[in-house]
Amino acid sequence: MEFTGTQLMFIIFSAIIVIFSILTVTSRRILRAAIYLLFVLISTAGIYFMLNYQFLAAVQLGLYAGGIIVLIIFSILLTSHISQKFEKVEWKKSVFSAIAVIAGIIVTLTAVLNYQFEANNAITQEVDMNLIGTKLLSYDRGGYVLPFEVISILLLASMIGAIVIAKKGKKV
Amino acid sequence: MTFQDFLIMRHEIVLVAIAMIVLIAEIFVSEKNRKSIIPIAITLFFINVLFGFCPAHTGQLFGGMYKTGDLQILMKNVLNIGVLIIFIQAVKWLKEPDNMDKVSEYFILIISTVIGMNFMISAGDFLMFYIGLELATIPIAALAAYERYKNRSAEAGIKLILSAALSSGVLLYGISMIYGMTGSIYFDEVGAVFTASSSLHVLGLIFFFAGMAFKISLVPFHLWTADVYEGAPVSITMFLSVISKGAAVFVLFIILTTVFKAVMPMWQDLVVVISILTMTIGNLFAIRQQNLKRFLAFSSIAQAGFILLGILDGTSLGMTSVIYFVLIYIFSNLAAFGVVTIVAQMSGKENINDYNGMYHTNPKLSLTMMLAFFSLAGIPPVAGFFGKFFLFTAAAHQGYYMLVLIAVLNATISLYYYLIVVKAMFINKNETPIAYFKSDFSTKLGLLICVIGIFVIGFASPVYEYINQICLTLP
Repeated sequence: MEFTGTQLMFIIFSAIIVIFSILTVTSRRILRAAIYLLFVLISTAGIYFMLNYQFLAAVQLGLYAGGIIVLIIFSILLTSHISQKFEKVEWKKSVFSAIAVIAGIIVTLTAVLNYQFEANNAITQEVDMNLIGTKLLSYDRGGYVLPFEVISILLLASMIGAIVIAKKGKKV
Repeated sequence: MTFQDFLIMRHEIVLVAIAMIVLIAEIFVSEKNRKSIIPIAITLFFINVLFGFCPAHTGQLFGGMYKTGDLQILMKNVLNIGVLIIFIQAVKWLKEPDNMDKVSEYFILIISTVIGMNFMISAGDFLMFYIGLELATIPIAALAAYERYKNRSAEAGIKLILSAALSSGVLLYGISMIYGMTGSIYFDEVGAVFTASSSLHVLGLIFFFAGMAFKISLVPFHLWTADVYEGAPVSITMFLSVISKGAAVFVLFIILTTVFKAVMPMWQDLVVVISILTMTIGNLFAIRQQNLKRFLAFSSIAQAGFILLGILDGTSLGMTSVIYFVLIYIFSNLAAFGVVTIVAQMSGKENINDYNGMYHTNPKLSLTMMLAFFSLAGIPPVAGFFGKFFLFTAAAHQGYYMLVLIAVLNATISLYYYLIVVKAMFINKNETPIAYFKSDFSTKLGLLICVIGIFVIGFASPVYEYINQICLTLP
């Protein structure tokens, strides 16, 4: 079996994603978990690059790998001790969650692998930035101005929600 | 697009405007006058409720991303009424010194949740549906942790946000499968090509359903419910158990009957199993509860199982029975929660045993509670009976006689545990019953609206006719 360069790249990226995702949820040190997550996000950006989604890949790198991970690390440093380790999970719990995870993987994999996806013959080409901008603010079919605006309400509500939780009450 | 077109979205636009006015009022109102935000917000919301009933333009906007018709407007109005009652009943709680400094945040967050629900109901594609769902969930998690100085409230908040995140993940995975197979996120395009031709289709539907089942707290996705209901402030518990649940049920009905219409036999099987599980387990656990908030949590799980009977029948009959039942459920559950709230505030007691002999000291509250429980249990003279009756009719209409039998058995079991509380209040002797207290005006008003609602909806057929007429226009 021979691999083309793209396939090889895909295998490497997905291997990194799978391994580091598992490490993220099993690590007992929270800061390490955050760094493992960083690798997952960067490899995802790599897959976007392979698919020629330059814009999405840039957003993935800039926002998720750059912004969100920094935020996560900030909040970890502000709220907990880095040296602190989580307690070991009981072996019973890990056995049951392992069974649940493996069963889930088997079910979804068989369903996905048995489905006959139509081959996409469209030529992969770089998506025009102009098009993305127009679509984002278009109100016709296929335009995204409404979700774009509603998300701003969602963000406002989330910020106010954060204030509600963080505001100092009289009793502590 | 012209300005006229935007008026189609007026339910949402008015709510956004109210949220902004409250936000600005917060800036200008001085520390001492914080209380004045409460009447401002409630009056504005009352105007919104009335405005919702005015004749409206219908149609779709943004290339089908946003749709509204008489049915959607009716659903939004039903939710608006419930939110108004919750606001009125929350006044006393909001005036407590600990909560005074976050009053406007309470209103803004609740209103933004309602905006999310409205967008979710009017969604024409999975993207708007998902954003609406998140907007309806995230603020409410912050509100569950509103009484931050209480550990339980903080615990409720974190449990709600974690279970919501998990369920959203499952839901999104299902949606991504559906998108992968159909190549579209628009409901009409997906609905046109979605068939049960492969196991991936089935899995996509199941994941979508599981995500929604978390929000409606159906068994086996109900484990977060009791803890969150108990820990969160009662006003938020009311919102979760009535409004959030109602909105999610409406949306589930709309999506199952439009997007997944072609695979109806498949999801009907799913709904039957989940419905039986939900009714039975909700009831059996409710019997064991001593804390009234947990008791009402499990009773609301059981009620959700009954609502599923209406969803089974994907026609206008089912739609009418679901909306009608949710409307009754709003009044009955809010009445029960209202009494529990005021008793907890005045005496700090929440257990069923504490209610022993309450009739002798607080007869009016006891009667209200009894009415609410009769309505929840479905005893003939009050509204709840008709609600359940129409749900059973809808399920029988599709030939699910065994299911209806099980549902009737469950209704009988539920009667037992509701009557335990009624017996405690009216018959059980108690040396030290809850002392007599005078309720404040807003609580009285809230409870009065609920009691009137329970009677009027049950006895006056125009309400049912009105809902039925709108639902008959269902395609």
